[in-house]
Amino acid sequence: MSQDTSSTEAEREETDQLITTDPGRGGLSEQDNTSTVMTGDTIIQSRNLDVFYGETQALQSVDLDIPENQVTAMIGPSGCGKSTFLRCINRMNDLIDVARMDGELSFDGKNVYDDDVDPVTLRRRIGMVFQHPNPFPKSIYDNVAYGLRIQDRDVDMDSVVEESLKKAALWDEVKDRLNESALDLSGGQQQRLCIARAIAVDPDVLLMDEPASALDPIATSKIEDLIEELVEDYTVVIVTHNMQQAARISDKTAVFLTGGELVEFDDTGTIFENPESQRVEDYITGKFG
Amino acid sequence: MSNTTDLTGDRGFQDIRESMYTVVFFLCAAVSVITTAGIIVALILPTITFLGEVPMSEFFLGTQFSPAIQPTVFGVLPLAFGTLLITFGAAMVAIPIGTLTALYLSEYASESRRAVLKPLLEILAGVPTVVYGYFALVYVTPLLDAIPGLELGTFNALSASLVMGIMIIPMVSSISEDSMNAVPDSVRNAAYGLGATKYDVSVGVVVPSALSGIASSFILALSRAIGETMIVVVAAGQTARFPETTSGLLNSFFVSTQTMTSAMVQLGTSDLAGGTTAYRALFAIGLTLFVMTLVLNLVSDAIAARFREDYD
Amino acid sequence: MATDTTTESGFGTVSRTKGIVFEYLTLASSVAGILALSVLLGYVFWDAFGMESAEIAWYGAFALLVVVPVLAFVAYTQRNPVAGEAALELFSTTMGGILGGLGTVTILEVVTGADIWFGYFVTVVAPLCALYLYGRSQPNASWVGLAMLGFLVLGPPIGTALLPITTTIVALIGGPFVYLFTLTIPGALVLRYVVEDYLELGDGDLTAGVMVAVALLAVPLVDRLPLVSRSVWAIFLTTLFAPLAVVVWKNLADRERRAGFAGPGVFAAGIGVLLVVTDRTALNGPTPWFDWQYVTTSPSRFADQAGLYPAIIGSVGIIVLVALITMLLGVGAAVFLEEYAPDSGLGGAVARFIRINISNLAGVPSVVYGLLGLAVFVNLANLGVGTVITAAFTLSLLILPIVIISAREAIRAVPDSLRQASYGMGATRWQTIRNVVLPRAIPGILTGTILALGRAIGETAPLIMIGVATTAFSPPEGIFSKTSAMPMQIFAWSSFPSQEFQHGVVAAGVVTLLVVLLTMNSIAILLRNKFEQEEL
Repeated sequence: MSQDTSSTEAEREETDQLITTDPGRGGLSEQDNTSTVMTGDTIIQSRNLDVFYGETQALQSVDLDIPENQVTAMIGPSGCGKSTFLRCINRMNDLIDVARMDGELSFDGKNVYDDDVDPVTLRRRIGMVFQHPNPFPKSIYDNVAYGLRIQDRDVDMDSVVEESLKKAALWDEVKDRLNESALDLSGGQQQRLCIARAIAVDPDVLLMDEPASALDPIATSKIEDLIEELVEDYTVVIVTHNMQQAARISDKTAVFLTGGELVEFDDTGTIFENPESQRVEDYITGKFG
Repeated sequence: MSNTTDLTGDRGFQDIRESMYTVVFFLCAAVSVITTAGIIVALILPTITFLGEVPMSEFFLGTQFSPAIQPTVFGVLPLAFGTLLITFGAAMVAIPIGTLTALYLSEYASESRRAVLKPLLEILAGVPTVVYGYFALVYVTPLLDAIPGLELGTFNALSASLVMGIMIIPMVSSISEDSMNAVPDSVRNAAYGLGATKYDVSVGVVVPSALSGIASSFILALSRAIGETMIVVVAAGQTARFPETTSGLLNSFFVSTQTMTSAMVQLGTSDLAGGTTAYRALFAIGLTLFVMTLVLNLVSDAIAARFREDYD
Repeated sequence: MATDTTTESGFGTVSRTKGIVFEYLTLASSVAGILALSVLLGYVFWDAFGMESAEIAWYGAFALLVVVPVLAFVAYTQRNPVAGEAALELFSTTMGGILGGLGTVTILEVVTGADIWFGYFVTVVAPLCALYLYGRSQPNASWVGLAMLGFLVLGPPIGTALLPITTTIVALIGGPFVYLFTLTIPGALVLRYVVEDYLELGDGDLTAGVMVAVALLAVPLVDRLPLVSRSVWAIFLTTLFAPLAVVVWKNLADRERRAGFAGPGVFAAGIGVLLVVTDRTALNGPTPWFDWQYVTTSPSRFADQAGLYPAIIGSVGIIVLVALITMLLGVGAAVFLEEYAPDSGLGGAVARFIRINISNLAGVPSVVYGLLGLAVFVNLANLGVGTVITAAFTLSLLILPIVIISAREAIRAVPDSLRQASYGMGATRWQTIRNVVLPRAIPGILTGTILALGRAIGETAPLIMIGVATTAFSPPEGIFSKTSAMPMQIFAWSSFPSQEFQHGVVAAGVVTLLVVLLTMNSIAILLRNKFEQEEL
């Protein structure tokens, strides 16, 4: 595989267009074109990715190129495999005994499922934010400092904590009570704290698994604003079941439909206004899923 | 972003530490397996020697047990009889009371009453058994002896089994209650929908549905009673007897009786030098007891596993 | 099926009657065992406190001064549970402090002595604590864990080698000063943390200073008291008085909890007034068997001189060792089974086998564990017949399955989302366990361990098998010394035919054992309540 990651600006312009079109795999009756789009440098790339939970197939031969420093959204009905794909990227699926994968998934040009890859090292470069806010039952400060401590980072802890909380737009709300328990924060604040915790170790990629689904509308819009700011420094991959959210914040959108099949991947505008596949159009317009 | 992608993650010292802790924790868990192996080996080795000295037929079929007075006789039947007698008595107390208690807790009791009753019931199993033995000897026997027409010895099987029955009530009630709680409400509602009363639902629907769990609790309680030592040592006496007649069988409750466990204590406290047959008899009886309780526990587990399957 | 239909004549209520009768039958069954046990406990307390020698008027006074106020307080706690919790906190701190103090005095003064304690304190305890604290402040220093393990393994032999030197030092500075440095001052540091950071009550430095000052200033007073040496004072200050002061302070600071003082208050005042009244008037009070003399003297053939002291010390020594062994092994095994063991494959099969094995071990009769102890620890390892260490190992194996099962439950109760968060940050398995899983599971693990220790302290049959003495006239002098234990002494005395023993001395022994059990259980319940509150 080894997609060249050091393409020039000019090449990037060119590859902004649709460049590869794979015929649909698995002999499905409908003509599904799994499209792969290249913009910017590809940082995460999957080829023929299959994932099984025991006997159940959760992802079917997914090909996907995620561009650097952009927001890529994954949408689809529940059980379609979008979260599974997310958890493949930082190998969180390793924690599930029955999970098994085939194919390739590369991060920064390196297949993360190679034998010599250590999932712990991988996760230190790919941060993750979960569906429900899950701060540790420790102080706000200790939550943000957690990653730095476990990674033996020799840094000025106080300033990194402050910096991260500022980036997560939480600093003003908590700067006077850094030593209080993180569990005393509101749900929205907790989720922003989890984002601060994830970016404190300066990862390359931030994976977000429906980060706003447990929050109220005001907290959700704060998280969305935050994502738009974060993308200047990080690559963001976000799973959401909320199509409006995907349309609002993402640059690219991947649509997964039942059975773990990636049906279409393109610029968000294209997906929502002029999708190639009839099934995606049905899903977007609410006829299906 | 770095140009070289190294995800091999050699964290040197941390890696050593990780694998070291894995080994340490595994060894901690392995202690339990070593314990089991230790129990089996420690019991079997002396038993093999013992069975070389005392024929298996004498040990398993002999109706006399007299380890101290020459000529020594090692028949386990009187001890097994004593054990079964007292276990039977305890079961007569614990099984009805425990089952009814479980029904009350799962079907009738309000949440607040349950919250009070459950920890109180647990206390019953938490009192040291030597204390129960003392209760049986010093308070229960004189109390029963005061009943006209009941001639009780100072040491007797009756008060030991009564007190043991009280002790194992929580074993019956807590597991039975769990299995009754596992009966889905839809089953109850189906019966109510047909016009059943609460009594009909409890006795006619919940109990049959939870039967395997209830049976498993009975067996577990019996296994506990068979292995119980201090109550019988303190209150039931040390006379091994095997009734030859039916009236002797009935009478056994009112006189001193020896169980397998109390025979072990007798052998363990007498000044036995390590190398005698009586010393090895201790282990042979121990092995018999171990096998009996193990079989009961496994049977109870198997039955309990079935009831879990039923409602998963 | 019968139904509740009422027929025209009104006699159709039979089926409902049956239902009501059945409901009351089940209710009666539920309380039958509890009632029977309460009656028996009533008898034993009656005997232990020699109540029969008291006259009716005394009972009237007792009911009026003690029973009614305490019942009133209990009724009050139904409306104000916070006060009840505060009272339970005060009770268990007091009793736990006394037990802890007794345990410490047993280990330090009776079993090891100040010189040996000081030697191992310097080479094992102090380095471990220092490393632990350093590890907490600098969690990225990955060598700390290994260094701790090193001190755990190498510390004891080094301590033994250095004993001549440390003994000389102790001889120079004196035992009481050793306790000042090794117990009071570290205790004051813990106090400083608790007061300032944990409970946020007030100035920690000031509190710690006050504690050290009290330790020193009270010495002239202590010297005048009989029975209390300077060493005992230093120990009890650390285990009892300082924690009690903090608990009192904490509950005084909170308006709602203040009412909790009424419970212990009315009880103590009632007993006090009752004693004064009994003393000053011609009223005949009870003549308790369970008294100070009983818990501080050795057994005797004469009932009125008999005491439980050596057996109490023996039991406490055994239990302290059992607690250490089972905590380490139990938590380790539970962590392996919950956090390391895979669900499938060969590893999964091994883990399943271990789990089944543990649940079956929990059902093995205790007397069989005695045989295991006899074969392995007495005969094979030659640890001695009826020694403290043999008893501790045997009882540890006995309760280990229970400790593992409850520790597994506590670990399983830690929400998976926290583990995911930690792994998602790139934490290793051990980092996740140490930073996220264990801190959250520890209260639950402690609760389960204390309850299991309650089982161990009452066990008799295995102790008989390994030859623990039924009667000992002096407490054990080290872990390899022969010992007795409370249940063994009760067992021995219960076969004495005399009424004075059966209804006096043994009853007092049973009460002692039950008081110890009650204290341990109330500490466990308190921990569990705290744990459950933090869950919310």
